[in-house]
Order: sequence, then C-alpha cells, then structure tokens
Amino acid sequence: MSKTKTSGTTHYEILFIIPNRFTDDEAKKLADQIKKILTDNQATISFSEYWGKKRLAYEIKHNAFGYYGLFEFDLEGAYLAKINKELRLFPDVLRHQIVVKKVKTEQKLARDKKIRAKIESKKAIIEKELEEKEKASSSSSAVKKKTDKRVDLKDLDEKLEGILNTQNLI
Amino acid sequence: MTTKKPKECYFCVNNLDVDYKDTRTLRRFINFYMKILPGARTGVCSWHQRKLATAIKRSRVMALLSATHK
Repeated sequence: MSKTKTSGTTHYEILFIIPNRFTDDEAKKLADQIKKILTDNQATISFSEYWGKKRLAYEIKHNAFGYYGLFEFDLEGAYLAKINKELRLFPDVLRHQIVVKKVKTEQKLARDKKIRAKIESKKAIIEKELEEKEKASSSSSAVKKKTDKRVDLKDLDEKLEGILNTQNLI
Repeated sequence: MTTKKPKECYFCVNNLDVDYKDTRTLRRFINFYMKILPGARTGVCSWHQRKLATAIKRSRVMALLSATHK
C-alpha cells in the first residue's frame, strides 16, 4: 500500500458502484475494466479495494444493492475530465466519484504516531484512575453477594448432575 | 432549553481525518432526520466541521448515507 506522490501529478481516489444485475465474479471483471480505463489514461494505480455487495442507502435506478469498488491513483489533472467522461458513458457503472486525496508526508506520519502514542498514554492513565475509584467505592457487601452467587451455581450444577445420572440409570 | 455542548473536537482530540467512507463515525454528527448537526451541537471545531459537512454530502452522493430518514 504505497501512497507516494510523483511530481506533477495529483493523488486521487475513485469510488464506484456496479449495479446488482451482475454476479460477484462479473462485478470483479467490470472493476478490472474500470481499472483499464484509468491506466489507459495514464493513471498509476497505487491502491485498490473491492468492498463487495452492499445495500444502498437509497435506490438508484431501481437498484437496492450494488457492488462497491475503490481505487487510488496518481494522475495529471488534464486527464481527469476525459476519465470522468468515459466513466459517465460506461453503461455498467451506476455512479462514480473521484476525490482528491491528500498524501501524508513521512514527517507528518511520524508526528501522527507521536500524537497517537500520547493519546493512548492519556487514556491508560484515565482508565487506571477509574479502576481505582471503582475499587474504593465498591463496598464489602457487593463482594459478598458475588461469592454467594458462585456457591449457588455450584450447587445447581451438582443437583443437575445428580438428576442426569438417575435418568441414565433408568 | 439549551443543549449540553461537548467541549472537545472529536477529530482533534483523537487525531483523526474526516473520511466520507467511514459512515459509522459520520452517523454521530447526523440527527434522526439525517440532517447535518450544527457545530454548536457536535462540539467539532469549525475547521473540522467544514470537512465534516462535505464528507457527509459526498457519502450521500455515493448512497452510503441517505439524505432522508425514510
């Protein structure tokens, strides 16, 4: 999953819906066709994902279900209009959407990692405090109740076993 | 009656990006009628609130979210 940016191009992401009248294998083949349209127009695909059949939030041309697919690619801006036009004329795509996706630099990724580590450490501290509070607040009566329940369960198990054994003998 | 406002921006605090494909988190910022909640209600900072609005609209286009509650 490399998301590197080559010079002079922009990083895009396309999500498309294939109608429900196709089978899963056919939909996968259609996704490959869409991939070909992209690569024919000088796009370099860096990431692809096939979501499979999903229920649409609302019906599109009487389709309640659709196959979703996703590609990420680098492209020169001038080719975008052509790709959009070709996909709009492509009969087996219900809908598609091309969106500019921001590429994270290595510096930013490193910074994100640091921030995430900080957040996790903070969360851990908060959880510890909560646990301590719970321990302090839980009275001895609650503990007694818990033990009582366990004893009851054991008794029940013994009784059940006894009943089962007698039935087997009969 | 004033509604209680969360103090922190969900995306700033958790260091998350707004993604139009992640409908589960987008749901938090939509009401029962599938309308986008205002920033005053969601507590999201204005920068992220703008990203949120476009993300919700994008997911509506791709039928990941519906525009109405029916």
